[in-house]
Amino acid sequence: MLSRRNAIQTAAILAAAAATGSRRALAADKVIKVGVNLSFTGADAENAARIGNGAVIAFEEANAAKAVPRYTFQLVKLDDATATAGQYDPAQAATNARTMVSDKAYVAALGPQMSGAGKAMAPILSQGNLAIITPASTNPDLTDPKFAQQYRPAGKAIYFRTVATDAYQGPNMANYMADTLKVKSVFVLDDSGAYGVGIADSFQAQAEKRGVKVLGRDRLDPKAADYAPILTKIKSLGPQGLYYGGVSQAGVKLAKQAYEIIPDVIKAGGDGMQTVDLLKGAGFPAVEGWYATVASPHVIEDPIAAKFSDRYFARFKQHPDDYTITCYTGAQVIIEAVKRVAASGKPVTRDAVRDAIQGVKLPTSMLGPIEFDEYGDLRNKIISVFQIRKNTEQPLDDPTAQYKYVGVAPVA
Amino acid sequence: MVSTALAYVSRPLAGLTPERRRALGLLALGLGLLVFPLVYDDDATIDSIANAMSYATLALGLNVVVGFAGLLDLGYAAFFAIGAYYYGILSSFQVMPLWSEAWAPLAFLGLVEKMNQGGPDLVHFTLSFWLALPTAALVSAAFGVCFGAPTLRLRGDYLAIVTLGFGEIVPIVARNMDGVTNGAAGLNGIQAPRLFGQSFGVDSVPYYYVGLGLVALLIFVSVRLRDSRVGRAWMAIREDETAANAMGVNPVRFKLLAFAIGAAFAGMTGVFFVAKLQTATPEMFNFNVSSMLLVMVVLGGMGSVWGVVVGAVLLQLMQTWFLPQLTGWLHDLGEAVGSPALLRIDLVQWTQLFFGLILIGMMLYRRNGLIPATRKTPPLTFAAQHAEVTRGGFLNLDRIPRWEPGEGALDIRGVSVRFGGLVALDDIDISVPAGGVVAVIGPNGSGKSTLFNVITGLVPAYSGSITFRGQELVGLPAHQVLARGVARTFQNIRLFPNLTVLENVMVGRHARLRSGAVASVLHTPGNRAEEQAAQTSVLDLIAMFGNRLAPRVGQVVSGLSYANRRRVEIARALASRPHILLLDEPTAGMNPAETLELAEQIKSLHEMGLTILIIEHKLDVVTALADTVVVLDHGVKIAEGRPEEVRRNEQVLTAYLGRAARAAVMEADRVA
Amino acid sequence: MTSADLLLQQVINGLSLGAMYSLLALGFTLVYGIAELINFAHFNVFMVGAMVAMLTLQSFGLVGQETVLTGLPLIGTLGAAFAVAMLVCGGIGVGIERLLLRPLRGVAGPAPMITTIGVSYVLFNVVLLALGSDAKNFPNPLPPIAWRIGGAVLRLREVLIWIIALALMVGLTYFVQRTRMGKAMRATAQDPEAARMMGVEVDRVVMTTFFLSSALAGACGMIFGLYYNLAKVDIGFAAGLRAFTAAVLGGIGNVPGAMLGGVVIGLIEAVSGQTVGTAWADVIIFGLLVLVLIVRPAGLMGRLAPNKS
Repeated sequence: MLSRRNAIQTAAILAAAAATGSRRALAADKVIKVGVNLSFTGADAENAARIGNGAVIAFEEANAAKAVPRYTFQLVKLDDATATAGQYDPAQAATNARTMVSDKAYVAALGPQMSGAGKAMAPILSQGNLAIITPASTNPDLTDPKFAQQYRPAGKAIYFRTVATDAYQGPNMANYMADTLKVKSVFVLDDSGAYGVGIADSFQAQAEKRGVKVLGRDRLDPKAADYAPILTKIKSLGPQGLYYGGVSQAGVKLAKQAYEIIPDVIKAGGDGMQTVDLLKGAGFPAVEGWYATVASPHVIEDPIAAKFSDRYFARFKQHPDDYTITCYTGAQVIIEAVKRVAASGKPVTRDAVRDAIQGVKLPTSMLGPIEFDEYGDLRNKIISVFQIRKNTEQPLDDPTAQYKYVGVAPVA
Repeated sequence: MVSTALAYVSRPLAGLTPERRRALGLLALGLGLLVFPLVYDDDATIDSIANAMSYATLALGLNVVVGFAGLLDLGYAAFFAIGAYYYGILSSFQVMPLWSEAWAPLAFLGLVEKMNQGGPDLVHFTLSFWLALPTAALVSAAFGVCFGAPTLRLRGDYLAIVTLGFGEIVPIVARNMDGVTNGAAGLNGIQAPRLFGQSFGVDSVPYYYVGLGLVALLIFVSVRLRDSRVGRAWMAIREDETAANAMGVNPVRFKLLAFAIGAAFAGMTGVFFVAKLQTATPEMFNFNVSSMLLVMVVLGGMGSVWGVVVGAVLLQLMQTWFLPQLTGWLHDLGEAVGSPALLRIDLVQWTQLFFGLILIGMMLYRRNGLIPATRKTPPLTFAAQHAEVTRGGFLNLDRIPRWEPGEGALDIRGVSVRFGGLVALDDIDISVPAGGVVAVIGPNGSGKSTLFNVITGLVPAYSGSITFRGQELVGLPAHQVLARGVARTFQNIRLFPNLTVLENVMVGRHARLRSGAVASVLHTPGNRAEEQAAQTSVLDLIAMFGNRLAPRVGQVVSGLSYANRRRVEIARALASRPHILLLDEPTAGMNPAETLELAEQIKSLHEMGLTILIIEHKLDVVTALADTVVVLDHGVKIAEGRPEEVRRNEQVLTAYLGRAARAAVMEADRVA
Repeated sequence: MTSADLLLQQVINGLSLGAMYSLLALGFTLVYGIAELINFAHFNVFMVGAMVAMLTLQSFGLVGQETVLTGLPLIGTLGAAFAVAMLVCGGIGVGIERLLLRPLRGVAGPAPMITTIGVSYVLFNVVLLALGSDAKNFPNPLPPIAWRIGGAVLRLREVLIWIIALALMVGLTYFVQRTRMGKAMRATAQDPEAARMMGVEVDRVVMTTFFLSSALAGACGMIFGLYYNLAKVDIGFAAGLRAFTAAVLGGIGNVPGAMLGGVVIGLIEAVSGQTVGTAWADVIIFGLLVLVLIVRPAGLMGRLAPNKS
């Protein structure tokens, strides 16, 4: 309750850190708020921190560089997890959406992590015409025109993504496995989560379409420790490939045990398997050879990405991961949109910012060119494929070093 | 100036009775909550309060199960999920069977509509929110019954683990049945409630009022149930299941009722919750929710209706307001003193740790919660405490049911009881004539209490038959034995320790009352008349013990003296209008004066026509009261006869006193 | 892989799981037998055991699975980690009993059980705040030795787990059956009042029980780490729930029953993963629990704790 006030308080430190200019400049500038709604406590807290830091660094840099003259960004962290739920709580997410909608100083938002939270937030944000850019929630329903009545009752797209929906990563990887890896048979697993089930379902559908034999499908309990029985079953079926849709909670355990039970099977996952957690928790040699996809083009030796990684490490003493970058890019979109509105001389309102976000074109982000379609999804749907190959010259838990880019997954 | 204003306001309040003041306070609280959204225009705060309200309703439901009936349910969120998915599925586009004319009647009722999205006609469920609320209560209650029926017979701690398992299963099923629930991705397109053709949409104010109404309704229902025959039965089960059973309460039935009502509360809340969110995912109903609800109930006070509401609100405040606020202050402090350690602290991350500590702390230091369910009763006045003992006695004769002429009383034929290889009773024959007093004596461990237990159905008979007024008692559960007119007391006093004298005795009346849960909630005229009459006659019964109990009817029995607890237990047994009263060492622990007083009272009961079977060690009491004495030793009847005959029986003396003493008594007799 | 090989492999999987569940189930059963209490703290005492074992191994300089030891150094490191994990967990168990549960002894109703739920939360969150929620790479110095039996693979670590679990169970059985304290424990389980009257120091018996049960959980945590090369703050719940089911299945309060129950649950988990799918494993296990409680509340091996009414 009264979450608006306390959210401001918790954000005080962030704002202070963000205002690297003199305090007087801060006072003179007009402060515009950007909410970042993630599950900062509970089961997904560490991921949330890593994602949120992407926004923190983006706005710190923008404020320091005076990216938008006469405006200072204030990042307000809103936690949609509650102790009652032990993780993200859609009810709290809805409350946070209302917090942002009812305060006119908010012009845009980032988040949420979970599609379940997004589904509770979208109708409220739509009514308030407040744009939100999600760095992580991939359930297609949210931007599906079929559900427009539900998730954008006011009409305009407000739920933007800098991440591809499950509708692309899974199918494209199915194509890659069929075309490039010449896999003839697969077994499909998911981790019971919305993301995992979605991506595994779409993979399976495309694999079947491509004539890859799906030898079975099962669901892992992310809280259970033992996946030996199902892996033994997979071993007995003898597929050439294993596709796992899910995040690292079950992924770490799966990678460890799969390495022992089915070492020769080609193993692949979505962007949920491109994380620091996997490298740290499962480690080499268990993770060696796993494929993972990322929903953005990969620019080889991209200097922007390398520099970002260094800056990020210097600031937070940890490596960024995939969603850090989607969140950073989402923040860049918001900064660009605000810059455009301010430059046009119009007042920086959320309506103006929403329309600007809809029209933003970022040609050189770390995710490649960024542009949204009318539903809020990325126009650019390039899926890059990476493979874990041990690089002993770099830190073994640094994804940018250990995931080797191997190509683009063909569009389905 | 403030103080004078306060005094001005509080002066008229001071003149009011506590009840009036309470009612006034409630009224003020209610009004305050009603106008709050009108004066405080912050959507997020109102929404947050509405969330707190749904947790309060869940805690109220869990309180019925855990607080009233004492059943530790660790999977309560399962029923929350059932209500949520029930409404979610029947008001969204998730399940759309093919249209056929069979659906037409439902379409006429507005429950479904025909829909075409290209392709064949489909059925779109359009269950109204207002219809869903009561029906979800029924659906969840039905699940509660199906699930509870096999498991509620188990010991309480098994129930905890089975409910925990159930709480795990329901979200798994929701997740795996993608077609019906949309699985992990969550339901889409759940209808917002409509009222007078107007949709609630995403505005938080109408939800606030629905939530408020729901909380008020469930508080009302909880309070009404608590103070009824049903509530007393639950609390009796919670306090001592065996004694409750012996006093006529059918434990399985009432536990199931508690489970069903608790589930109904959760089901309604589920409807409200998803209607407000317009989505539902399996993760919303995990174990964590169940255990947090338990924390709310424990914090507020198990069994305390207002307590659990306060507990829910406090926990909600703590996690959404207090801890973030405190973190903010610590950070401000950290900035002021330049301490990076303080700046790093985020107490919100510690919320669950605090919840764990609350659970432990409450159990160790304040088990009854912040607002305990048992009201403090004012201490007795000096006068009442030091009043001269009045004897009382039975004045009103219609309380003892009359025997029909020639009716057979208690007839025990060839009854044996075995515990494993141990024979506790061996082929016992005892008959108690109508209107008679039979005493059972025997050394410790001779099987006397087992005899009472087998008569009252608390232990099964291995063989033999027990008839009472021509009806077979063997095989009947304890509560049915009581219903047949057999009431008892226990050797080691089994009252319901946290209930008052009046409540204890009212539980004894349970089997003679009919009011069910519905009548109790609605306070139907029949229910009110019944309660009134029961209360009057029970108070009358208590008056039998003179001023021993009468001034203490509002006190919790655990604070009474030993002798008074014995008296309460006898009054409780009498409240069931028994034909026969089984007294197990009623004068144990009483001083000679009290013993004499009680013996007289028992005698007066007998004179009024009550048949009595009594276990007693004090032989003078036995001699004064009993027509017949039965002597048990090692589970065998060794003697039976008039008291003075039995006193001289050699076998009895050996059993009771050992050989040397027997010789001494014989010697004394010879000399006499 | 022939179906016979497959069956054999699943039996090997199931037995390894079962060994762990058995050790955990023993802890539930011991405490239930003596104190008639479902100890929910046990879930996370086990988790703490895994973490302590991991920190101990790391303190020897072991990281991940890269360092392989043999001979005496191997036995020494493993032995030390087992000892530390068991002692720390045993100490936690004694602390829980002495400080939090003893004041509640004799309190009717769910108060002691609720206390253990609270302890479970505290343990979980302390570890979470101290070590974080990510999966830890549990150091494993065992050499990767494996034998092929037909198409099935039997690894050194599985054999080792069976041996250690068996040794602990045999030791426990010996302790309960043969020693003075064991006899006192059995007497207390039968009838605490009578035991007290016969001169048994019930307080000490209860404390010993908590020590043993928690030390077994600690050992189980170490075994868990060795088997999965992993430790994580949330491992307690799923494993604990299955272990409790195992204890009830075998007949709660019954020591051999807990061992049998653990193995049965492990095998069921393996077989249901093979046939129905792991998605439904929990449903099957809890369905079985309910079924057992309804049909045979005393469990497979019998002996319901005496109903102290």
